[in-house]
Amino acid sequence: MRKINIESTLYSQLIIDDENKLVIKFQPKTNVFLYCISEMRDKLRKWREENYRNSEQIVDVGEELINEHASKLGDDIWIIYEQVMIAALDCSRDDLAWSCLQELKRQFPDSHRVKRLAGMRLEALERYEDANKLYDSILQDDPTNTAARKRKISILRAQGKSSEAIRELNEYLEQFVGDQEAWHELSELYINEHDYAKAAFCLEELMMTNPHNHLYCEQYAEVKYTQGGLENLELARKYFAQALKLNNRNMRALFGLYMSASHIAASPKVSAKVKKDNVKYAAWATSQISRAYQLQHLPAGVMLTSLALSISSKTPYTTAASAGVAVVIEIHGRRQT
Amino acid sequence: MSMGEVELSCLAYAKMYLHASQFPRCSVNGLLLSSSAAGGAVCITDCVPLLHTHLSLAPITQLALTQVDVWCSQTQQRIVGYYQANACASDSSPTPCALKIAEKIFEQCNNAVLLMIDGEKMFPGCRVPPIVMYERKDARWALKDKHTIMLRQWEETCSIVNQLFSSGDQALLVDFDSHLDDITKDWTNQKLNAKIMELVSPANGNV
Repeated sequence: MRKINIESTLYSQLIIDDENKLVIKFQPKTNVFLYCISEMRDKLRKWREENYRNSEQIVDVGEELINEHASKLGDDIWIIYEQVMIAALDCSRDDLAWSCLQELKRQFPDSHRVKRLAGMRLEALERYEDANKLYDSILQDDPTNTAARKRKISILRAQGKSSEAIRELNEYLEQFVGDQEAWHELSELYINEHDYAKAAFCLEELMMTNPHNHLYCEQYAEVKYTQGGLENLELARKYFAQALKLNNRNMRALFGLYMSASHIAASPKVSAKVKKDNVKYAAWATSQISRAYQLQHLPAGVMLTSLALSISSKTPYTTAASAGVAVVIEIHGRRQT
Repeated sequence: MSMGEVELSCLAYAKMYLHASQFPRCSVNGLLLSSSAAGGAVCITDCVPLLHTHLSLAPITQLALTQVDVWCSQTQQRIVGYYQANACASDSSPTPCALKIAEKIFEQCNNAVLLMIDGEKMFPGCRVPPIVMYERKDARWALKDKHTIMLRQWEETCSIVNQLFSSGDQALLVDFDSHLDDITKDWTNQKLNAKIMELVSPANGNV
């Protein structure tokens, strides 16, 4: 929360009038502390629209707005109550969450949206059975309520019931095929379960509908790399390159490009031409990495030494300190050669 | 200290704790380092926080492991263990990914340890260290006897962690993932290390 100290000039003073406008009134010189309400509202709106999860900040700004300036917020206040309530749950502030919920219940007594918030509070208190009952009652009323269905899946996830969560999420996506958030959640669940083929499928869906999103490309490439084998490494390299095309500052993609190209070049199964091409890609990646570090005046030494070591003579991970004793990192049994 | 004993320094503990606290909704992991010579007891003198996203994907894990390895050889340290905190606080059992990485470390260091952070014990005023340690026995990872795990000056360590939170210095912690998001951030945490060592020093009455 920012207080703006506006040292007024001799005759003017900045105040917020009753219609919430910033005006200049001419008055004798005084010091005025102003809470820049519109700035706080804008911040909350930005965080809402871009789905930030900076809950501590939201609680900070939101609590102030609600407690001190509720009358100046107009109809925005309800959506702010909702936003602050969810953030409060995230920060274990049940007191704040409860008071926001009460205001919303009073204003919207039969709302499913508010019922869902009540359910989320029960989840935060780990009263999962009660939360499920609430969501089930919403779904009885309105079987198409996606929010309630997703909360039920989140409960399964919180309880560690991954396979059930995956099953439910798959069923959900059969009906609601365009739900990006759900596809991404499913890809995360599959990655945690080491089911990389299915995770790749989810990411493919996401890339199709979001072709300009460099993060999906990069994640897809990481999954392919993890699956291992020459074909997957080549796909990985292509998608790391695609991610870089979409955002040339994606460091993960740059490192990923280096590692996949180097592994392909080091493979005994590739033709001389493929080897040569991949050596070129790897060299390009190294130069870009070096440049990125130098631009920030950072020592690139450790980075580049370790890169060279990471693909030296068939082993992706070598300890320099114990020469001759190579430690190979095989993630899930696939050798990266 | 004798064979089979493991000592965990304040610096290592504090950074692991801070790492898990910084990303309460994610699984996090990192490497445990030692600056003492091999053989005898294991003294974990430092740690490097690694990831808070996609712990089971290969490329960044491989990259991070290689980086830390090179850095260790330059700074006379060895990788002697691995830590992980699961996103699901009620489940502190090692995941397949944790076991695999610990296995690789064990191939290099025969008294390597696997440390799981117990999320359920990470509340203010908890009297017990929120850690569960495993060691390699008979080709599997077995729970280590609590009495062989040394956390010297436990009270002081707790107080140091609390001081880091109240001064806001816990936000200084950088893990490898954060470094990749912004390469100006230092994953070796020199600044934070200095702050912690200052708090540890006898001048602060913490010994």
